[in-house]
Amino acid sequence: MTTFSQAVAPSARPLTKLFTGAALTAGLLFASLAPAFASPKEEAINYVQQLADETISILSKDGQTPSEREAAFRELFTKNLDIPRVAGFALGQYARLPSPEEKKEYIQLIEEFIVKVYANRLSAYTDQTFHVNGAVEKGSKGKEVIVDSKIEFASGREPVPVDWWLLRQDEGFKVFDVKVLGIWMAQEQRDTFISVIRNNGGKFEPLLKHLRAQIGQAEKEIQQKLTGEAQPQPGETPSEEQDAATASE
Amino acid sequence: MTELVNNKVNKALALVLGVSLFAAGCATAPDPADEAAVAAYEEANDPLEPMNRYFFELNRFADIILLRPAAEIYDGVLPRQAKQGVRHFLDNLRAPVILANDVLQGEWNRAETTATRFGINTTVGVLGLDDPATDYGYARHGEDFGQTLAVYGVNEGPYLFLPVLGPAPPRDLTGVVVDQFFDPLTYIFWDDGYTVPVTRFVLNGVDLRARNLEVLDEIERTSVDYYATIRSLYRQSRAEEIANGQTNVEDLPDISNISFE
Repeated sequence: MTTFSQAVAPSARPLTKLFTGAALTAGLLFASLAPAFASPKEEAINYVQQLADETISILSKDGQTPSEREAAFRELFTKNLDIPRVAGFALGQYARLPSPEEKKEYIQLIEEFIVKVYANRLSAYTDQTFHVNGAVEKGSKGKEVIVDSKIEFASGREPVPVDWWLLRQDEGFKVFDVKVLGIWMAQEQRDTFISVIRNNGGKFEPLLKHLRAQIGQAEKEIQQKLTGEAQPQPGETPSEEQDAATASE
Repeated sequence: MTELVNNKVNKALALVLGVSLFAAGCATAPDPADEAAVAAYEEANDPLEPMNRYFFELNRFADIILLRPAAEIYDGVLPRQAKQGVRHFLDNLRAPVILANDVLQGEWNRAETTATRFGINTTVGVLGLDDPATDYGYARHGEDFGQTLAVYGVNEGPYLFLPVLGPAPPRDLTGVVVDQFFDPLTYIFWDDGYTVPVTRFVLNGVDLRARNLEVLDEIERTSVDYYATIRSLYRQSRAEEIANGQTNVEDLPDISNISFE
């Protein structure tokens, strides 16, 4: 461009101006279109970053009751996680086993299970920062991207590597699976659920029973935690202080 | 140590053989006409599941009455620095085995890291009680002969869960035995009444358990089948270790066509 305009400069100034103008217009045009041309990897990284930001903003919001926090996580999870796909994947070859009613309850239970367990696990994080390291496409159609990230802790605790397996849907990316410390969560559920069904004579109902029990248990623990926080038992207070002291060392 | 391990392994193998013959009769191979059950059976790759579950419960019982209480005392009594010192010391003792396997896998850079770590931590780190090497940019990695075999293309084989040892499918069990030969302690304490190797084995177990007190509780609480969860966690974390963090995403299952609504 420079060499060209230098070459034509003496005789054709108006022409150069025209070119510059055209280039500028084109530049503006492309700049405004840029998001549409972002590679699937960049798009996926932005998506994960935004998801992490939303999670951290839920975690760091003050004056929230635990049920408000759970509701916020439920909204976040149901919006961003492809729960029916996880549910189907977790049944493997048994995916055609449940009746329509069983299927409906099963998907609801999975959602409940994920919300309860992960809202609780995430609540333990307080001093973390989130870094995206990069992304890899799975397949060549830009439909699936694995984003590699890391959670770091101010306390000096070992960083936790987290991979995000994203799948593009009509309305944008959704999360299919998350790998924490080398473990894919949906794969773990699949191995466990298939085992429960197989060890119960290939019947579906026992899995539902287990899931209901598990959710009830999680609920009970959250309740216990709440009452424990509200009224600390006299015997427990010193040990908690001790824990805090050891942790801050 | 070798003798001890050989003895233990021999006894364990004899036991496994005995029980597996028994279990083989009991293991419920699926009806070949039931496609889903056959697929589930093959995916689990756990033909000795009844025996494995029995040993799993046995270990869980030993954990409740022995290992867990010991780990809790260890965790509660020792200050954090002391526990870290123990961990670093045990890690440093393991360096020769890691180095041997780095070399056997042709991972020269990693071998260099392991050797450098051993040099720095044994001297500057006062016999390995501290880990200054990590701060100098030589972070620790693990290796064992089970992983080396995997790199050579050996499959894990059917799942196996043993008393005391825990998950030990044939490839990794072989690895544990072979690694004893790479360990200088095996030769130094050849005739010495096993005190040192046994102490190390026990301390290693207690320290590992102590660092996973809450994690294991959480896993057990949130699992619909604890045995199957541990099996999945074992296989997945081994795959991760073997890949040295270089997992090929194309090896992941195809999930694009699942419709379940």
